[in-house]
Amino acid sequence: MALDFSIILRFQDALVLGLWMTIKLTLICIVLGCTLGFVVGLARTSRNVLVRAVSSIYVEFFRGTPVLIQLFWIFFCLPLILGVELSNLASGVIALTLYMGAITSETFRASLKSVGPEQRDACVALGLPNRVQITNVILPQAVLRAIPTLLSNCVSLFKESALVSAVGMADLMFVGQNISNNTARPVEVLTVVALIYFAIAFPLTRAVTLVEGRILKKLAI
Amino acid sequence: MSNTAPLVKMRNLHKSYGPHVQVLKGLDIEMKPGERVVVIGPSGGGKSTLLRVMMGLEKIDSGSVTFAGKPYISSESADTKTVIDTDVRRSIGMVFQHYTLFPHLSVLQNLILAPCKVRGEKKASAMQRGQALLERFGLGAKADAYPAQLSGGQKQRVAIARALMLDPKLMLFDEVTSALDPELVGEVEQVILQLANQNMPMMIVTHDMWFAKNIASRVIFCAGGVVVEDGPPEQVLGSPKEERTRDFIDRVFHIKH
Repeated sequence: MALDFSIILRFQDALVLGLWMTIKLTLICIVLGCTLGFVVGLARTSRNVLVRAVSSIYVEFFRGTPVLIQLFWIFFCLPLILGVELSNLASGVIALTLYMGAITSETFRASLKSVGPEQRDACVALGLPNRVQITNVILPQAVLRAIPTLLSNCVSLFKESALVSAVGMADLMFVGQNISNNTARPVEVLTVVALIYFAIAFPLTRAVTLVEGRILKKLAI
Repeated sequence: MSNTAPLVKMRNLHKSYGPHVQVLKGLDIEMKPGERVVVIGPSGGGKSTLLRVMMGLEKIDSGSVTFAGKPYISSESADTKTVIDTDVRRSIGMVFQHYTLFPHLSVLQNLILAPCKVRGEKKASAMQRGQALLERFGLGAKADAYPAQLSGGQKQRVAIARALMLDPKLMLFDEVTSALDPELVGEVEQVILQLANQNMPMMIVTHDMWFAKNIASRVIFCAGGVVVEDGPPEQVLGSPKEERTRDFIDRVFHIKH
């Protein structure tokens, strides 16, 4: 078969729009998801049993089920239960935020745990009040240690976001599929779409390694 | 008589970890102002626990501690809460065996965090004091370095400077040279000797008998959770009265009978 990649150029604008939608969705869900993850990460170390139980169930459930089913459930079932229509953008944002919240909460929890008890001892020996211990000593170190894993979480989210095409959101994947169906040129179109995803995700994963090295060096772990 | 009133008075301290491990079994120690007490003894004998209790890092089962005549720590029994006066605690400084500098802060930031946050000192004034202290310890050029860029000996000297920023009335040193490479031990001990020359009261746990001999005004041999022997360094390290102390000293100096 003869490959004709020039066909892509005709759909350049549509692909750019799709990519823009993917990036927008990813960025929104990174901000919302990391915030949720941070709060849930803290909740999982709470002294309150109920808070701990609820947050654990949430995290384990969302880590233990496919994102696709979470997305479908929010898109098809949630409106039936709540009696309100959810746009595909809204359900995409909700599903990916909940997914991102669950995985980043684990990242935050692990990094909080990695700040050793001797740091607490030093705080007490210096007479630092609890509030100062947390905001000036424990949290900054925890967040710093979390950064490399958080970046990996963000790259995963960027790739997983392609799932929203399944509920009809016009992201890069959705646009690519449409073009491929209409032109009957799946090889060219889907290859280019894959390469676009790769062109963004690959430098990011390299950056993760770089940032990780720097932070580890700084904290001397 | 007031100048001979004890600085620290520990009464009948009991401390256990769980129902079976008793670390302190009725410890009584009195320390006068200006004294430099070195605590020696076998591992698990309660030395480090003693310092951690003194710093208010560990609860006690029962007993009491007064500091400069004020009640500091007390607990009636294992079931009651350990009461710690945090104002008194602020006049005590401690340096630990493992480096406990804050790795995300520069050396100078490590020094000024507590003065600024605890005492409300102005940043500029704290930085000035901090820089002066670093110069004194030969670390003037390291003010902006991060802990990971320092050697073990430098880290411990910074940790000492950080504790001194709060003008402690008593310094606790818990095996501060044990984790260091041998060639770095001297520089840290020099700094502590410098403080000793200024009559800083201190309580030191160490395995370094040379250092103990040189710095102590008094040595306490602690084993099995009680004070076994207590006296001037020449006596406890040189010609101990108690059999257990003698055994320990012989073993430390590798003298075989």
